[in-house]
Amino acid sequence: MHPRKRLEFSAIEGRAPLQFPKGVRLVIWPVLALEEWDISRPMARMVISPPQGQPMQPDHPNWSWHEYGMRVGFWRLRKVLRELGVSPTVTLNARVCETYPTVVKACLDSGWELDAHGYDQVPMHKAEDQRGVIMKSMDIIEKFSGKRPRGWFGPGLTQTFETLDYLSEAGIEYIGDWVLDDEPVTLHTEHKPVVALPYNFEIHDIVLMALQHQPSDMMYVRARDQFEWLYAEAAERPKVMAIACHPYLSGVPHRIGHVQRTFKELLSREGVVAWSGDKILDWYLGQQR
Amino acid sequence: MANPMIPRERSDFSAIVDRPPLKLPGNARIVFWTIVNYEVWDIAKPMARQLLPAPTGVPLMPDVVHWAFHEYGMRVGCWRFFELFKKLKIKPTLSANARICEDYPRVAEQAKRDGWEFMGHAYEQGPIHKEPDQPAMIKRTLDTMEKFTGKRPVGWLGPGLTQTLETPDHLTAAGIKYIGDWVYDDEPTVIRTANGPLVTLPYTIELNDIPMMLIQHHESDYLLKRAIDQFDRLYAESKHRAKICALAIHPYISGQPHRIKYLEAIYKHVNKHKGVLHWNGAQMLDWYQGIAAKQLKAAE
Amino acid sequence: MNFPKPAVGMLPNDRLGYSPIAKRKALKLPKGARMVVWTITNVEEWDPTQTMPRTVLTPPAGGSPMPDIPNWCWHEYGNRVGFWRLLQIYDEFKIPGVMNINGVAVEAFPDIVKACAERNWEFIGHGFTQRNMQKVENERADIRKCIEVLERATGKRPRGWLGPGLTETWETPDILAEEGYDYVADWVLDDQPVWLKTRGKPILNIPYTQECNDVAMMLIQHHKASEFYERAMDQFEQIYKDAKGSARVMAISVHPYIMGAPHRAKYFRRIFEKIRKKRDVLFWTGAQIADWYLKSGPKAP
Repeated sequence: MHPRKRLEFSAIEGRAPLQFPKGVRLVIWPVLALEEWDISRPMARMVISPPQGQPMQPDHPNWSWHEYGMRVGFWRLRKVLRELGVSPTVTLNARVCETYPTVVKACLDSGWELDAHGYDQVPMHKAEDQRGVIMKSMDIIEKFSGKRPRGWFGPGLTQTFETLDYLSEAGIEYIGDWVLDDEPVTLHTEHKPVVALPYNFEIHDIVLMALQHQPSDMMYVRARDQFEWLYAEAAERPKVMAIACHPYLSGVPHRIGHVQRTFKELLSREGVVAWSGDKILDWYLGQQR
Repeated sequence: MANPMIPRERSDFSAIVDRPPLKLPGNARIVFWTIVNYEVWDIAKPMARQLLPAPTGVPLMPDVVHWAFHEYGMRVGCWRFFELFKKLKIKPTLSANARICEDYPRVAEQAKRDGWEFMGHAYEQGPIHKEPDQPAMIKRTLDTMEKFTGKRPVGWLGPGLTQTLETPDHLTAAGIKYIGDWVYDDEPTVIRTANGPLVTLPYTIELNDIPMMLIQHHESDYLLKRAIDQFDRLYAESKHRAKICALAIHPYISGQPHRIKYLEAIYKHVNKHKGVLHWNGAQMLDWYQGIAAKQLKAAE
Repeated sequence: MNFPKPAVGMLPNDRLGYSPIAKRKALKLPKGARMVVWTITNVEEWDPTQTMPRTVLTPPAGGSPMPDIPNWCWHEYGNRVGFWRLLQIYDEFKIPGVMNINGVAVEAFPDIVKACAERNWEFIGHGFTQRNMQKVENERADIRKCIEVLERATGKRPRGWLGPGLTETWETPDILAEEGYDYVADWVLDDQPVWLKTRGKPILNIPYTQECNDVAMMLIQHHKASEFYERAMDQFEQIYKDAKGSARVMAISVHPYIMGAPHRAKYFRRIFEKIRKKRDVLFWTGAQIADWYLKSGPKAP
């Protein structure tokens, strides 16, 4: 389906405001993404391009760079989030349950929500059988955790024109892939509607650090600027602000302090809470009734 | 080589929180590992890095501009490093293309005289995937360095950190004891090879002036900012377990006049702290081999 | 030097001769003003069945996926949310708006058109779709469709044109003049308006900007958000200084999906906080600049 058929254009100006529960003015949505980068394929992202710019297989340096995130970076982030009492949405390639069960178990032990994020870090366009990949991802996570994921993020947030129909068919209730609003929106599918929660590519460590090459404190600076403007607007209507972290980026020693400061300061402000995706979804669905 | 091991087969996944803390000797809590990289860029080949992309984006051969850019490091930049480390009484690991012993003997001689640790970094600068005969190139590298310095290197770093699946096996066959290519941890680890265990030391792709300056295009003072952020965090964590903070520099980058002062300031900051050891790779290897007997045995 | 002439249209060198700004007759603005600032907001519709003109998040391991939903959504945010944020700033500082909008976007976003029309913003042509004008099958039809769509939506014919990505063919200025446009802004080569010859009537070019433009700054150069304000102020201060004795025109260009992001809006706002009240600076639309230049500037060639 063409995106316009799934969701009509609507200007935020003129929409009836949603209502947060008493005492809540702005919701921070922390998202932690865990990925599997198969050494037999080109790496999803690169921190170091090979000399002479010739792409190499295997791409060992960039594989190692990502692996650091699972061995070391994740544990740093987890400690920071637990100390602040923050329960993120963890969106994971299902294969992570097979390759890094310790990591997934640590998320479950902390009571964190698990979302499906494909089977491994490959765009949905490259999947020969999207339906199969989606079902497989959800089955693996359900088997590991005892709970079927309610939320989905495409690898690299990719989707084709049909993906949402397959997701709805598989029981997915919300996605993070449509970064087109400050509020949740409802998308039509061939089956039940699916909610798009307001994720973003602005306060996002891949965009900031791996692509735009910003200095490490920019996570804090940009998150503050984003927050201050949204917080002012939140006097009129509820705002949701997502912050996206990947262990191999935000979990390295020179970045973690800025990430910690971001969450600490934002959450210390009046009326600011951190919710997981399913909580935001349930609130929004409650508003629709 | 038929069916070389993939990384997952060489090293089981291990979460840092599940490992017993490592301990450094005495009151030391953190190792600061300086790795200086000296390279040879052959004018007949494409240059390893581009600072000034060619107009209209078509890379040209010969690329004299970038050859000269690198050459500055050998003519001028590296002497700033020699002076700095002499003053600080630090003997860094020298990750060098072995060819510097033939093409820049004056530079190699200075490093030898100053007691720097020579670490194999291929014969010349190019991705290892393009090397038709890896074992021969590895041998040539180690032979050249041994002939020049009188000592056979125990450590290796792939050019651009590149390795193929077989490389670790070729390295242990050649007698290498540690590598820096596996930037996947804060601590030394042991990986399996066809010829026994190989130690990985935590080299760095983050606190490294190539990604920082040539790929990410940060301002010069960012060298210091990122180093402080990195070191401070590791130092705080070193309260509970030994940590290693590596810094990787190239003379044509950090040896530039507009950057060298930030490099000097890094050491000033680090040396304000108690319990810091300025070790090179060989020293770290000795220490780790002394305490990691179990891990070494498991990888045999 | 003699360059080969194109089969249709004209070489840029044939449309205007070289002219050093220091040697031109002084330009005078009314009311003792010394410079003009015009602020352009660009609204586009990106076709999800085509490659996205810009991306913020490349897919894992590269490639160009079709459709590119994440980047389509990132851009769409600007129309749903970002534009309204910028509109508040325009309203707060009473900045006369210039709406540079694709023909298809006029139909897709009637709320945006209505909000701008209510405020008497100037609408200028920006291609029927967001595509390189050299890739458009029939350029004249495209340019004409923009006139029709804008006239139908706003009651007024557009007087100005800014090509998608500032692209033109050899004959774009000729066609624009023939179709009744008074000015174009694709020729970012001066701090004052200049006349361009066409095969018919000459057409005016008004100084637009690649420097104080959020696309290059944020999406290509990856500057931090505050750079938009710092650079605009540096630009403004220099142009203000240059404008002693002879008027200058400065443009500020924003896209709702970029400067309309929550973390960037404040830096757009801060510019006007600083400069809006200056007594000798005029805040005009492109049409006002054109009318002034027609009256006070050198005659058309």
